[in-house]
Amino acid sequence: MSTNIERQVEEQAKVWSGVAPPNAASGNFTRGLTEAIQGFERTRGQLGFEDEPSSFEAALQETKERTP
Amino acid sequence: MTAARERASALTRLTLVQACEAVQRGEVTSVALTEAALDAFKAGDATINASIALDREEALETAWGLDKLRKAGRQLGPLHGVPLAHKDMYYRAGKPCTCGSKIRRAFRPAYTATAIKRLEDAGSITIGSLNMAEFAQNPTGHNAHFGNCHNPWHLDYCPGGSSSGSGAAVAARCIYGALGSDTGGSIRLPASMCGVTGIKGTQTRVSRYGAMPLSFSADNVGPLARTARDCARLLRTIGGHDPADPTSSTEPVGDYEAALDGDLRELRIGVPTNFFFDGADPEVQAAFEAAMKVLESRGARILRLAIPHMDAVNTYASIVSRVESATIHAQWMRERPQDYSIQLSGRLYAGYAIPAVHYVEALSRRGPILRALGSEVFGKVDVFATPTIRMKVPTLAATDIDAGAPGAIEAFGVISANTRAINYMGLPSVSIPCGFDSDGLPIGFQIQGRPFAEARVLKVADAFQQDTDWHKRVPVRPG
Repeated sequence: MSTNIERQVEEQAKVWSGVAPPNAASGNFTRGLTEAIQGFERTRGQLGFEDEPSSFEAALQETKERTP
Repeated sequence: MTAARERASALTRLTLVQACEAVQRGEVTSVALTEAALDAFKAGDATINASIALDREEALETAWGLDKLRKAGRQLGPLHGVPLAHKDMYYRAGKPCTCGSKIRRAFRPAYTATAIKRLEDAGSITIGSLNMAEFAQNPTGHNAHFGNCHNPWHLDYCPGGSSSGSGAAVAARCIYGALGSDTGGSIRLPASMCGVTGIKGTQTRVSRYGAMPLSFSADNVGPLARTARDCARLLRTIGGHDPADPTSSTEPVGDYEAALDGDLRELRIGVPTNFFFDGADPEVQAAFEAAMKVLESRGARILRLAIPHMDAVNTYASIVSRVESATIHAQWMRERPQDYSIQLSGRLYAGYAIPAVHYVEALSRRGPILRALGSEVFGKVDVFATPTIRMKVPTLAATDIDAGAPGAIEAFGVISANTRAINYMGLPSVSIPCGFDSDGLPIGFQIQGRPFAEARVLKVADAFQQDTDWHKRVPVRPG
């Protein structure tokens, strides 16, 4: 998995952004993405998608502290 | 110690509010406060490396002008005559602003950050700029370009980042208060590791105009100082809508200091039963539980409850700022990757491969998750509290990614796990000191409230500080 993801990231970064691996340590950060990928796998189906584009700002207002 | 040095030391030990009041009453001049702060930096910087640039002449000239105004019966505002220094990522027109980086070492912005302008309009003096993580992107205080900032409690240990100089300078009594910035904990982590108080407001509470961008969804401007009362004064000064930053909230800014009455009767404090204590160090847990006892003794009720969707929050929070900062830095990452530290270029690099669908998913679910928090948590408690950091303060050597320290990348994730999640939720959060570990390093805890409940979280923090003296302890100046 780790070698595979490093290769995938290298390809994505190169093709989409023109960015090359800056140093050997970047591979360690890349391997860290597997945890995020697993996290996304676990969240599948847990929450519905929301279309409202300003939902976070609206939620800040809806849930804010109300002064008596 | 000479009488003059003793006098200067007594001045630097005042809190920000005490210093403001002393100037107001004519007991001390702004020039004396400013000289004391500059001298404290001169003595402390050799070991803690908290500042990047100090402007002695200009600071003293401004202080002299403010003293003259006061003698004429005029006060600019609630910070009249008090010196401050800020993380070196806040623009001041014509002044160097390095952002802690090699890339921006010669950068001189053409305009001034709104937060700086508001602090100066209120009468404060900006005496210089403070060390920070490169482009505000590490939680430890390492800096490959300006040298690591060191924890004033023990020089081998991390001061916390990314507002490392702000935390270290306030803790070492070099300065009364400082702006930091907080995208994943960068105010609260150095506050916790250095034993000072730091607050990030609700997302959008403070204008970000003229602040170096890292992640537009999660960046926050906020202060570090010695007490919750100091932070209340600073946050009130910088908070509020700014036409230059259309994303800043129009929500009115309250009188946060007026709310600090110490009355916690009937207050319900939530303590999470999930996520925030995973793998927590027993010493951190013990200090946290002792802090809850203090709050209980003031009449607060402690309720243990689960915080919803924390697995999702942790996952989403881990990618939002990574993608946004990768976007911001793309041109430099193509053209001059060698000018970044190993740690930062490695971190940025991984951001170029995170799919847009997951980034959008992470952003779009902030609203639903906050609503769930509103009903499932804030329907039952008024605030919730957690350790700011789960682990004891690590050493700089153990977390030095550029030097290849084993496990350092993983440690970065653990250090910011509790704070980063709060940024994702957008909540106001204050970190205050609550003890020391067996290595002699500070332990902190953070208090979160509903959006725009800054007054309430500061009230809890202030009540705690009325009954404890952790925030009053002063590190012995190294050397």
